Amino acid sequence: MKQNFLDKIINKLTSQVFEFFEIIGGVTTFSVKFFASVFRPPYEITEVRKHMDELGVKTLALVSVTGLIIGLVLGMQSQPVMARFGAEMFLPGMIALSVVRELGPVITALIFAGRVGSGIGAELGSMRVTEQIDAMEVSAIDPFKYLVVTRVLACTLMLPLLTVYVDFIAILGGYISVIITQNLTFALYADLVIRTLKFSDILPGITKTFAFGFIVGIVGSYLGYYAKKGTEGVGKASTTAVVISSLLILLVDVIMVRITLFLFPE
Amino acid sequence: MIKVSKLNISFGDNIILDDIDFEVPNGSTVVVLGRSGIGKSVLLKCLVKLIQPDSGFIEIDGKAVLNLKTRELNELRKEIGFLFQSAALYDSMSVEENLAFPLKKHTELSESEMRERIIEMLDMVGLKEALKKMPSELSGGMKKRIGLARSLILFPKIMLYDEPTTGLDPVTSKEITRLILEMQDRFKMTSIVVTHDMICAMSVADQILVLESGKFIFNGSTDDLVKSKNMFLQNFLSTKLEDNPKDASERR
Repeated sequence: MKQNFLDKIINKLTSQVFEFFEIIGGVTTFSVKFFASVFRPPYEITEVRKHMDELGVKTLALVSVTGLIIGLVLGMQSQPVMARFGAEMFLPGMIALSVVRELGPVITALIFAGRVGSGIGAELGSMRVTEQIDAMEVSAIDPFKYLVVTRVLACTLMLPLLTVYVDFIAILGGYISVIITQNLTFALYADLVIRTLKFSDILPGITKTFAFGFIVGIVGSYLGYYAKKGTEGVGKASTTAVVISSLLILLVDVIMVRITLFLFPE
Repeated sequence: MIKVSKLNISFGDNIILDDIDFEVPNGSTVVVLGRSGIGKSVLLKCLVKLIQPDSGFIEIDGKAVLNLKTRELNELRKEIGFLFQSAALYDSMSVEENLAFPLKKHTELSESEMRERIIEMLDMVGLKEALKKMPSELSGGMKKRIGLARSLILFPKIMLYDEPTTGLDPVTSKEITRLILEMQDRFKMTSIVVTHDMICAMSVADQILVLESGKFIFNGSTDDLVKSKNMFLQNFLSTKLEDNPKDASERR
């Protein structure tokens, strides 16, 4: 009985690991196809712009609230610790550094994966199972170019913009937490933030969001584009898109942090 | 002219099409009959290379479809209209945008010319008033008619219909059948209709093919089909023409 239960767990885990690597293989091939098509006309710029608008509108409210809360909580949690060491004046700089280097990009990307990645998976999945992708193909319109390339580009370009916005809101949130306990003007807070942040803090933080945006777009598109088994497949594409892209974002983040530390050792 | 020879396709161990051959002369309409899930739609999708067959030869207007490069295949596809079983309207676009989509991609028409063409096609299928509607606001029959208008908007030489009347009430089915006949008459297209609706089949067919277990077990005219002594065909015909399964079982 116990043995059977263990077997079941092992089998389940093994099949999930196989499925994960199968998806990674598929996403890699899909990415190669993306780079082969993205530079070939037609460029579907209107469609990319339309998707960027939609993605921005879809996520703006959510990332605004999240950004504000990140800053607030970070400030509130760090203030007593900094006070213990008599380093309260470093709090604005610490908030800015944490937000710009790590929290802003990663949390925005994870929210983006949950909101946008699942949406792309569901949308393309539903188009697949209702033969809309076939209809496009049979009308001599390249569905990969029209549906996938445009969405992946929109995600890749939109996430950095959203991250800059979230960074800004989170630093503002940090200011709110600071004025609760300290008598600090906004001008001084901003001055401390600007003095602390260097180009080598901002650039890697923003650069990695291009990669995160690409991951969200390509994983969601891949799973939706090849969705099977009707509505069940659409649901699976949507949820798997969130799981896989979140995992990949975290993995790529580790690699990017290593590269950043190598390029900017200070 | 559509020519298919030695076409094979299987999904795993399941053989769908087994060495099939047929021809559709220019301007004629061939109906492919068969039970649900027997591979009729797969056959249609192979013709436009939506599904890659395992082996065989498909020639459309002198072009070997399976050997065409993507660009050549797309050029050929512009000459082919495909009405999907589900109509496959793009659900994020209005009816007008659905019809304008192929025109924007493949023609140099001005906005006003495009609009004129769209209105003309909608008028032809009797749905001019649906111009601004979204697919979700349309009934099954309306979707099929809009799907038909969209597939005809580039004036294709060849038309492929995948179960054009499935899921529709008898009156709407009759209306779609009438539209198919009208389109055939007007555009003189070469057509393949996949269906199991006997009324539709008998009305539009110049030639009928019956698919069973991966093979064509009948190839002939509607009259030949009715006169056929083949037990399977007789059963198939009588079952399809019996509207009420309860009456049918009582009669047996």
